Amino acid sequence: MIALSGVSARYGAVRVLEDVTLTVPARSVTGLVGESGSGKSTLLRVIAGLMRPITGQVEVAGTEARGLSFRRRVQMLLQDASGSLSPRMTVRRLLAEPGLIHGLPPPPGDLVARLGLTGLLDRYPHQLSGGQARRVAVARVFHLAPALLLADEPTAGLDVSVQGEVLNLLMEQHRAGLTILIASHNLNVIRRISGQVVVMYLGEIVETAATAALFAAPAHPYSAALLSANPAIDPARRRPRLTLSGDIPSVIAPPSGCRFHTRCFQAQPRCRSEHPALRPLTDARSVRCHFPMMPA
Amino acid sequence: MITIEDLTATAGPASIPAHILRGVSLRLEQGRILGVVGESGSGKSTLALALLRLLPGITLGGRITMDGIDLLALSESAMADWRGRQIAMIFQDPATALNPLFTVGTQLTDVLRRRSPGLGRRAARAEAAAALRRVEIADPAARLGAYPHQLSGGMRQRVLIAMALAAEPVLLLADEPTTALDATVEAGIMELFQRLRTEFHGSILFISHQLGLVAQLCDEIAVMYAGAVLEHGPAAALCRAPKHPYTAALIACELEADDGPIATIPGDVPGPSETPPGCLFAARCALAEPRCHTEQQPLRALEWQVACWKAV
Repeated sequence: MIALSGVSARYGAVRVLEDVTLTVPARSVTGLVGESGSGKSTLLRVIAGLMRPITGQVEVAGTEARGLSFRRRVQMLLQDASGSLSPRMTVRRLLAEPGLIHGLPPPPGDLVARLGLTGLLDRYPHQLSGGQARRVAVARVFHLAPALLLADEPTAGLDVSVQGEVLNLLMEQHRAGLTILIASHNLNVIRRISGQVVVMYLGEIVETAATAALFAAPAHPYSAALLSANPAIDPARRRPRLTLSGDIPSVIAPPSGCRFHTRCFQAQPRCRSEHPALRPLTDARSVRCHFPMMPA
Repeated sequence: MITIEDLTATAGPASIPAHILRGVSLRLEQGRILGVVGESGSGKSTLALALLRLLPGITLGGRITMDGIDLLALSESAMADWRGRQIAMIFQDPATALNPLFTVGTQLTDVLRRRSPGLGRRAARAEAAAALRRVEIADPAARLGAYPHQLSGGMRQRVLIAMALAAEPVLLLADEPTTALDATVEAGIMELFQRLRTEFHGSILFISHQLGLVAQLCDEIAVMYAGAVLEHGPAAALCRAPKHPYTAALIACELEADDGPIATIPGDVPGPSETPPGCLFAARCALAEPRCHTEQQPLRALEWQVACWKAV
């Protein structure tokens, strides 16, 4: 569904995405994890055709990233759901809008009812809670029956009691054939719904792996640190803490050599000078590290 | 020891009052960390601000007793003296909690000299550097000259923790102190809190919406919902075998298990101006029975405190 090869992108002079090579199979759920400045949102924007890469090839849904049919097949859920809804439109109009653009009737009553929006049709976005705004955004996306959904932190800012609602809707569409690329900082969410995970750090992919394999044994030290930082209610699930020194460096001036070496707990002299390539470790796993944490 | 008894926070006109806190009773032993968890609208942040009496336009009722003194009965000027001295607070967003126009050193020595008015400039400076070292800031003497914008988010939060501790308070309030930070930076701050428990002799009230964070750090957990405490008990036992259906549902929603259905809690939290005749959680509770909709559920003392008649 998605094939990126050697993609780099920049905002002004700042290179925010560096040499991203990634394949997302059709009908899969792929999780995208990483912290601020890792390039998750930029990657989604490049795939959606909202940003042009400076180098590399982007192939999405088998067509060029332009035109109405591409826009209908590739849909995005934005992090700030309330902000993505026009404040001047009622929910009724917001729900009808994508159909008007793509020549479809308004969403059927059963979709509206399933999302619990029936009683909210005459409200404006400012009268909606975060969860309700998110459901309106989901209804707009699903009405177009896209082939690929790019979801940027779709549960951020939602209370845990309602995040499951959004996830269940996504998974239901996934079972009906939807391909999903989801960026989230919530590792429990990623672990539960995705089949493969892409870990990013400072604009680069540092590891890709099958979800179960990654959570069982991360190969990149950054993946390991990120997983160990995930708080757990169940003591049996707590991992020994791998403390990283300092904060994430700025993408404006990324460190030399391996971009992670300034915070890495196992950095060697080679890491400071030589930039590691993303290389396959096993069938389903690639890692960008000179000294991966599991045998090659 | 700090005792909160039947604390209420009410806003709005008497004809349609908004109940933001509906009679919260908690007890905080010295040297212990109490975690307060809850979703939006649960009243957890209001609880912290009520302890500081920083809620203009909101009427507080009940009692907050510290060292035998009822804080709600203090005059405003006496309360101003308690704030930041006996009770210090760490806010969610470290970027806005520091004054951008002053260096870290100035802001820190201000706190120190307020605590000990006789402290000389040079001594205050040295103590400020020591305070930064305690929160694991490298090269503290140089950092004293830095302005907030020159520090990263994690570093700013460490400075705020240093400032809060510099006052040597009896009670430290931390309201979502890591929510604005990235996961690996958050982990470092949580480690710092973990270490504080041995070095800091006051009590800590740690507020978070993340049950996992609270479970790892705190001795006790209070679960809040719609302005009330529904369950309050020892952290590990409460997480292992929650007694209130809301706590159990909340844990399921965190999706820690490897598989199974993705849990949700359908329905909405009652708003502050709604007062259901029965249990506050009844409308969303999967186990609710007729009695739950008609009878209010105060906290009952079982193995720990639970506001549910069905709990055993």
